[in-house]
Amino acid sequence: MFRHTPLRYATLVLLASVALFRVFTAEYFGLEILTEIFILAVLVLALDMVAGFGGMVSLCHGALMGVGAYAYVMLSTIAGIAPPVAMAGAIAITGVAAWVIGAICARSHGIYFIMATLAFGQMAYSYVFEAPIFGGDDGLGGISRLDLSFVGIDLSDSRSFAFFCLAILAAVYGAAVLILRSGLGRSLSGVMHNEQRMRALGLTVWRVKADVFGLSGMIAGLAGVLAAQHIMYISPGLLSWTVSGEALVVVILGGVGTLIGPLVGAVAFVMLKHELSAVTTYWHLVVGCILIAVVMSRANGIFGWLEDRWGARIDRRAADATRNQKTEEVASDA
Amino acid sequence: MTIDLGFWTLQTLNALQLSMLLFLLSVGLTVIFGLMHFVNLAHGALYALGAYFAASLAAVGGYWMGFFLAPVAVAGVGVLLYTGLIQRMRKSGPMAQVLVTFGLIFALLDLTRIFWGDLALAIEVPGILSGRLAFLGVEYPTYRLFIIVLGTAIFAALSLVLSRTQIGAMIRAGVDNDAMAACLGINVERLFFIVFCVGCALAGLAGAVAAPLLSVTPEMGLQILIPTLIVIVIGGLGSLKGAIAGSLIYGFVQTFGAVLAPQLASVLIYALLAAVLVIKPVGLFPAKG
Repeated sequence: MFRHTPLRYATLVLLASVALFRVFTAEYFGLEILTEIFILAVLVLALDMVAGFGGMVSLCHGALMGVGAYAYVMLSTIAGIAPPVAMAGAIAITGVAAWVIGAICARSHGIYFIMATLAFGQMAYSYVFEAPIFGGDDGLGGISRLDLSFVGIDLSDSRSFAFFCLAILAAVYGAAVLILRSGLGRSLSGVMHNEQRMRALGLTVWRVKADVFGLSGMIAGLAGVLAAQHIMYISPGLLSWTVSGEALVVVILGGVGTLIGPLVGAVAFVMLKHELSAVTTYWHLVVGCILIAVVMSRANGIFGWLEDRWGARIDRRAADATRNQKTEEVASDA
Repeated sequence: MTIDLGFWTLQTLNALQLSMLLFLLSVGLTVIFGLMHFVNLAHGALYALGAYFAASLAAVGGYWMGFFLAPVAVAGVGVLLYTGLIQRMRKSGPMAQVLVTFGLIFALLDLTRIFWGDLALAIEVPGILSGRLAFLGVEYPTYRLFIIVLGTAIFAALSLVLSRTQIGAMIRAGVDNDAMAACLGINVERLFFIVFCVGCALAGLAGAVAAPLLSVTPEMGLQILIPTLIVIVIGGLGSLKGAIAGSLIYGFVQTFGAVLAPQLASVLIYALLAAVLVIKPVGLFPAKG
């Protein structure tokens, strides 16, 4: 189950204040990068919910994000539905799609789960790529942003849009914490740690997995809607499996199963990408090597490493205590 | 559409050729998984490396030099990967392995771009294989027939080695129960190493064989990876029978789907995969029941 430790609160406050500060001070290019970070952060929160707390390592979250983006565009531009309703519709469609995928894949574990989600993601990708109504390889343009002029906010301005994305990110974070702390979230942790025991306790395991996967899909769909509104153009590349892979990389880089870690990872990944691509076109090589180093170091990403160092002293004290206790027990047994 | 015998023969040959190419790739991946429980997403990158080595060697000493030396070179890269990374990742969970090999994909992709550039390379087919051959009433490129024959020969050789020789028996024992095999005096670690190298060499061979058909680009490894994964998941991880069955299913569904139902072709194979996973989550012919 998810808990806020002092370190997590501190990181969260630090991240939020830096983000707010940057939103108010950054120039145009900085705002674009900030918005990119916020949208990626929404997506990786969705992924961390299922991967870090349910053991469901999904390689279709990029595709779910793409489904959200395409659904929003189809509803708002093609069907002519008002943007707020189209947003809600797109999120609902993605949620249903994710629920179905989660329900079908609930029986698979480990590498089979990864492969099965990959298959569904690729299925969506090739469908969007081939079907003429989605614009095929050319993608779709002319996407309108949400109209918030009735409260005096003009989202076509990049600063307002960045702020809007930050607000949504904060809301998504709150929702993720609430979901993970609810009965559903606790059942999910139970399923991750011992599925058979949860089944024996009378839990319908596949329902729990599918429900959380559906909720996570809704968040991924929201990320897609934001991405579509941000770039105001979408292409099938959004659904490609490498997007899902990169999202997974961000979660691992930050620290899986910590919620805060993926936020840190999103910041690190986007900054690294922009800094490196300014220096060299081969930024994939550097990111690949960093990824290998992080995974092989056996630390749980950047934030997991911080948490380990923070908690090391307490842990050592606890370990000493139990060891002493055990020696005493052995001594008394003898 | 006039559907005659020639049409069916032609499409069957196309399907067989695609299947055999996929078989060369997937057999290495699936046996590595079956024996070592190791998920090597970088297998596609090794295939791309094979194509590049073949292209470079072919420019120096002709097609056959690339054909024979590229697998050796890729096996050499495999040795480096095994001693540097994979040996240490053996005990980690599937997620860590997926991520490390995902990082390898990134790194190898850019390394090929650094060494060979972004432009596509092409290889000439050798004279003896460049023509067309009349076969069952259709004219078919000799080179594609050569791929079919090569794939069949390798399948025959592998199944003979696995079922009839001592090392084959050792590999089967290792896949079945590695701890027990080790107790019976089999050096399982060395076995893993040999199988890994052979798998890498086969990936390199697939790259060298595919190079004249497709243009050699850095992305070719990424493009082939998904079909290869589909093949081994449909067939069932770890078994030779699964690899050949999965390859044939993929080749035929893809080829005939593209001809008979073009709108559905690309979705068809993924739908099939989803169906297999729902009905038999471990694939059609898994190594272990």
